[in-house]
Amino acid sequence: MIRLEGVTRRYGDELAVDDLSLEVAEGEVCVLIGPSGCGKTTTLRMINRLIEPSGGSIMVNGRNVMSMRPEELRRGLGYVIQSIGLFPHLSVERNIGVVPHLLGWDKQRMAERARELLHLVGLDPEVYLGKYPRQLSGGEAQRVGVARALAADPPVLLMDEPFGAVDPLNRERLQAEFARIQRELHKTVLFVTHDIDEAIRLADKVAIMRDGRLQQFASPEEVLNHPANKFVHDFVGADRALKRLVRVRVEDVMRSPAIVQEGSEELAFRVAAGRRRFVYVIDAAGKLVGWMDTADLEPDMDPAEALTRVDPAQASVRSDASLRDALSRMLGLGFRAIAVTDDKCRLVGEVTFAAVEEAMTEGDEHITNIAEEDAG
Amino acid sequence: MSDHSLQTRFDRVALVGAIVTLAGATALPFVELRPNRLVPGTVHSLADAGVWMFATWGLVALALLSAVAPSAKARSAASSASAYGLVAVLAWALGEAASTLLVGQTSVARVSIGSGAWVILLGAAVIGFAGGEERKRYLLRRLGPPVLVLAAVVSAFVWGGLDDISLAQEFEVRAESFWQLLAGHLALAGAGVALGAVFGVPLGLWATRDRKVRGVVLGVTGIIQTVPSLALLGLLILPLSALGNAVPFLRDLGVRGIGAAPGLVALTMYALLPIVRNTYVGLAEVDPAVVDAGRGMGMSSRQLLMRVELPLALPLIMEGLRTASVLLIGITTLTVFAGARNLGILIFEGLGQFAPDLILLGALPVIVLAVVVDVALSALAKRLTPEGVRE
Amino acid sequence: MSRRRTIAIAVTVAGALAFVWLINATALWEFALRALFPTLRDVLMPRDTLATFVLQHLALVGTSSVLTIAVGVPLGIWVTRRSGAEFRSLVVAGTDLGQTFPPVAVLALAMPVLGFGFWPTIMALFIYGLFPVVSATIAGIEAVPRSVVEAGVGMGMSSSQVLMRAELPLASRVIVSGIRTSVAINIGTATVGAAIGTGGLGVPIIGGLAVQNMAYVLEGAIPAALLAVLADSILAQVESAVTVAEG
Repeated sequence: MIRLEGVTRRYGDELAVDDLSLEVAEGEVCVLIGPSGCGKTTTLRMINRLIEPSGGSIMVNGRNVMSMRPEELRRGLGYVIQSIGLFPHLSVERNIGVVPHLLGWDKQRMAERARELLHLVGLDPEVYLGKYPRQLSGGEAQRVGVARALAADPPVLLMDEPFGAVDPLNRERLQAEFARIQRELHKTVLFVTHDIDEAIRLADKVAIMRDGRLQQFASPEEVLNHPANKFVHDFVGADRALKRLVRVRVEDVMRSPAIVQEGSEELAFRVAAGRRRFVYVIDAAGKLVGWMDTADLEPDMDPAEALTRVDPAQASVRSDASLRDALSRMLGLGFRAIAVTDDKCRLVGEVTFAAVEEAMTEGDEHITNIAEEDAG
Repeated sequence: MSDHSLQTRFDRVALVGAIVTLAGATALPFVELRPNRLVPGTVHSLADAGVWMFATWGLVALALLSAVAPSAKARSAASSASAYGLVAVLAWALGEAASTLLVGQTSVARVSIGSGAWVILLGAAVIGFAGGEERKRYLLRRLGPPVLVLAAVVSAFVWGGLDDISLAQEFEVRAESFWQLLAGHLALAGAGVALGAVFGVPLGLWATRDRKVRGVVLGVTGIIQTVPSLALLGLLILPLSALGNAVPFLRDLGVRGIGAAPGLVALTMYALLPIVRNTYVGLAEVDPAVVDAGRGMGMSSRQLLMRVELPLALPLIMEGLRTASVLLIGITTLTVFAGARNLGILIFEGLGQFAPDLILLGALPVIVLAVVVDVALSALAKRLTPEGVRE
Repeated sequence: MSRRRTIAIAVTVAGALAFVWLINATALWEFALRALFPTLRDVLMPRDTLATFVLQHLALVGTSSVLTIAVGVPLGIWVTRRSGAEFRSLVVAGTDLGQTFPPVAVLALAMPVLGFGFWPTIMALFIYGLFPVVSATIAGIEAVPRSVVEAGVGMGMSSSQVLMRAELPLASRVIVSGIRTSVAINIGTATVGAAIGTGGLGVPIIGGLAVQNMAYVLEGAIPAALLAVLADSILAQVESAVTVAEG
């Protein structure tokens, strides 16, 4: 979908981007990352020709960008930047309508599209369509920025540190929403950031750059488990094991726990007691109600008294959450395992601390080797 | 200063206004009766006007009362009433004084406005500002009181004999040429602003695109602005007449050393600085992120300029046009030295003949014009400001 | 930066010296204007020497500007203090309105009210000059960040110490730019003073236009333009000298 071959950008004698080749497949999120001045933003801006390449070729959708009129090219590429750049004199609706307007859509279609997109980015159209950019918070403005980039349904999105100026709490929320939208829309995305956590969370492929050159271009797992060199190793950082957890989904490592339905505790308990200390209790609809521990049970006691009732939202993780979320929830609650629920709070499984540990240590021998090589 | 602290204190603004008004009413000549329009005559104080003097005393007392009124609203209302009342009384008193004094005089005798009357007007303006911030809001919100004042002055003209005041008589004598001069004034100043915009906006735009151009354009227009207008006018006459003589076609178009041409060229040059500077600043202040986003979404430079940059810069460009217009209305008076015909003729003829009424007849409309244009263009600028960026 | 400043100051001083020399170089003027206008009988106004016109002009502008600064700056400061706060809206509205009045019209209006001659003209120039100075003083002081004032108070400065050590130094650039505007307007308006018999560089300009003698016009216009530019650049140097270095 996007293919860069031997792309170079020179400023005088300086090479901002040096012989860069990479390919982003359709529907993939490729994150360009590196320290500031590494050429990542220059690379992004060469794709929509806000910066002209000095050499090499850039193909988007099978067409060489240099053969297209820049304006025409850009209208087909969604563009989101850190400072957002919403037009202050236009309402949210008309901001979203900028590219459709350039493309000559009719009013009706633009209005419908604006509503649809506000829904998509999680803003109520009734409230936001008529607002002006200065009436929006940073997070809201960036949501509108994303909606605006998606307005003409471009197959490709170029995002330049889109969540860089938002506070950490909102950033995580925006990242999660972006991941959700991407699962829905399957855009081909080139995403620039300097935040390695963001890269690992969102990327299908990570391109790590330094001084205009590509250091490693691989999946996040590969980058974490097999850094290509010392620079990548250091850039990824010491807490690589924790970062790896971001990439693993709870549903991929969960197992089936012992479950009983509420009201049949006694029977279930006797059945389970032989094998497990811990039993989850669900209601008729499958919703998590709580759990029981054999250690709490006295011989002459009604088993129902041993039931610990919990709020599923607090005491479980969603199946599409990352292992890192599961770990932090476990640590917060002080458990060695945690229930996994679906979007209706129904119990679907359990993740244990052992499973988290296993995911953390995967691929560590290789890392040790690199560190030793570099030291020697 | 909160309203609260004002309420508990004596309002010194009202006091100052009252003192100024009283000084004007008692110590200075209210009107001057002269045998004809050029020679000095005998002065008369407002005290000679009987009932009007008492009305003035009453309104001054009201102003002083407003200074100790218990609530901000009461202060505001009392001081406004006093101020507007004083203006109305002033108009009627002038009219009556003129009519009374002219009885039994020859037809060339004149009654002209004395310095006392102007000082009373100043005092009324000061009283109008008493009452603190509440007062300002009141002025902005309500157009009613100014309309009342206008009605008072007009009624003084129609029924109160204000038309016996020498200024009105001067106007009557010159009514026909006055309107022509006013039209000439507006046309010349308007043409200067229009030409200033035609050259200034593109120059300001160019300055944003090129650093070197910016230095030269802003520097040169800045120097022009510093040069005294009369000197610039004098400096332009020679080259323009040379140009007109060298190129007959241009001379036929009116490019000559004397007449409207040097005036118009000088006015255009003066209009440049505010227009160029504001266009430049307006465009340069557009958030670079907005421009980047626009380009990144596929706007051409032209679309970006027309749909984003100019709309966002428009309020400042309008501000430049307003500044230029107000400036040019004043400077236009000087073009009469190069042979143009406008309100400046009345001012400088008046100064030359020591004829105060003629000076007033020229200078007052120039001031009113400047203020009206200022207010009108401010309002227009506000309307043209895109809703999303309005204060 | 400081080297550029030194050069700018040197150029300004050289310009001032050149100006003094030029207005006294009568022979040069005579020669140049004769060459330009060979048909004219007189090329220099016989009434006074050029240096006299310049001195008359400087007397008008200097006196009125000194008065303007002496009254305008304290007035501006006073209305930003607690003791003058209630006059603030009156003064701000008055100066705003005053600045829309054309200076020529104000000068002309002063005649019927104040009379003709040197002092009434000074009064008119002084009053008109007040508007930019007062409004710049208010704007400059009010632009000083509240945090600076509060820090000063917090460190135990008296309000006059806060004014002298924090507010005025920070506001001085804006105040000087107001003075610059005021002086530029005064120099321009003073040329018109010739029409009411106060002398100055307006005399040869207006006189020359009246008798169609372009040489007279240039005799007044060129020095007037140079004087204005020179005064402006001197004040520009003052402005950058008082500008507090900002990070």
